[in-house]
Amino acid sequence: MRILLAEDEKELSRVLVTAMHSIGYTVDPVYNGLEAVEKANQGVYDLMIFDIMMPVMTGIEALKKIRSAGDQTYVIMLTAMSEIDDKVTGLDAGADDYITKPFSLKELLARLRSLERRSEDYTNDVLKFGDITLDSSEQRLESFNSISLSAKETKLLNLFILNANKKINSDILIEHVWDSEDDIDRDTLWIYISYLRQKLQSVNAHVEIHGEKGGPYQLINTNGGNFNDSKVSL
Amino acid sequence: MEIYGEFKPYLSKIRDDVMKKLSDLNQREIDNHKTKLYEHLIGRVKTENSMVEKCQRKGFPLSPEGALHECKDAIGIRIVCNFIDDVYRSIDLLKHVDWCEVVKEKDYITRSKPNGYRSYHLILKVNTPYPYVDDCTPGCYFVEVQLRTIAMDSWASLEHEMKYKHTIENSEQIGRELKRCADQLASCDVQMQTIRQLIHEND
Repeated sequence: MRILLAEDEKELSRVLVTAMHSIGYTVDPVYNGLEAVEKANQGVYDLMIFDIMMPVMTGIEALKKIRSAGDQTYVIMLTAMSEIDDKVTGLDAGADDYITKPFSLKELLARLRSLERRSEDYTNDVLKFGDITLDSSEQRLESFNSISLSAKETKLLNLFILNANKKINSDILIEHVWDSEDDIDRDTLWIYISYLRQKLQSVNAHVEIHGEKGGPYQLINTNGGNFNDSKVSL
Repeated sequence: MEIYGEFKPYLSKIRDDVMKKLSDLNQREIDNHKTKLYEHLIGRVKTENSMVEKCQRKGFPLSPEGALHECKDAIGIRIVCNFIDDVYRSIDLLKHVDWCEVVKEKDYITRSKPNGYRSYHLILKVNTPYPYVDDCTPGCYFVEVQLRTIAMDSWASLEHEMKYKHTIENSEQIGRELKRCADQLASCDVQMQTIRQLIHEND
């Protein structure tokens, strides 16, 4: 992970940089809000950590500028224990999380690991189930053959694989796959289920979607008929 | 070189006869109130030059035996269908007619080639009134039939253009894009077939 750290206390910055380096992260340390904005404009980071009270420009102001430029990078604010308002302003200004000072290095590193796991799950989005492989970023389904999927079909199959063998109600599928403003009913869902079924068949997959029109639907590995064989791997 | 020898005049006749039989099969479907089997048919007899090249490449004798018996695609017919279902309906009908026998089939639709090629290939042994290289009269001639959808057919034309242009830049990227395109066309074919089935669900 590439991290931008804005912390004006040199000693604390040095300790954090050393700790993050030691577990393989790349860190660019800056010492005030303005430098943070400049760095953020130039580079791509997986994470930014901003102290709030900094000279020249505060962490909150820097965050606002970065967000208004369209940057959606995950940002953690470092706030003092007593400053409830700072947490609120920070989150409202577009921060994703905060850590209260003083904090233990152990906790910070654990949070970074957690964040890394999560972002990996989202970017390394190749899912396998039975004899199928779903590449969500390429929107491609593969088995003995390969075929393209639409964005919705990809999301739907992704959800099915992550919840394989579960009977899932139509409403839950619709809620997870379509935006709330989309006017989607069970008939439309049925069409998408039908597309996916035919596409699974066309790549010769031993994976089927069971269920009648109206749901619930269930993704099943039909290879050998043994549910224990179906393995989800990320 | 006249690799087909005395059999050459029969080849275009057989091509036309088989196309006529396929067209009759199609008409029978329409008369039975079913949708048409195919969108169009193309037939060709392999040129003698191509056949010589192929026999040399495969190590077959440069004779009518090599060209008509070892090689089985001197006569080729392509059936281009609107929908995937029609491809399989045509295959099923061909397996039940009395004028030919399916001797070999390759399903590159369910198992496409690594480059993305999709098509269904049949080798038919067709009964004809003409003499054949094994001295049988009437003889049985081999005919290769390729069945595919319009989308698969357009893709194959594009791939053909790439294959025969040797001075192509970024051929690796183009190959990758062609594969991706094949997957997208397959997706459309399956989608159209699904919609068609949904329309006729309650027929």
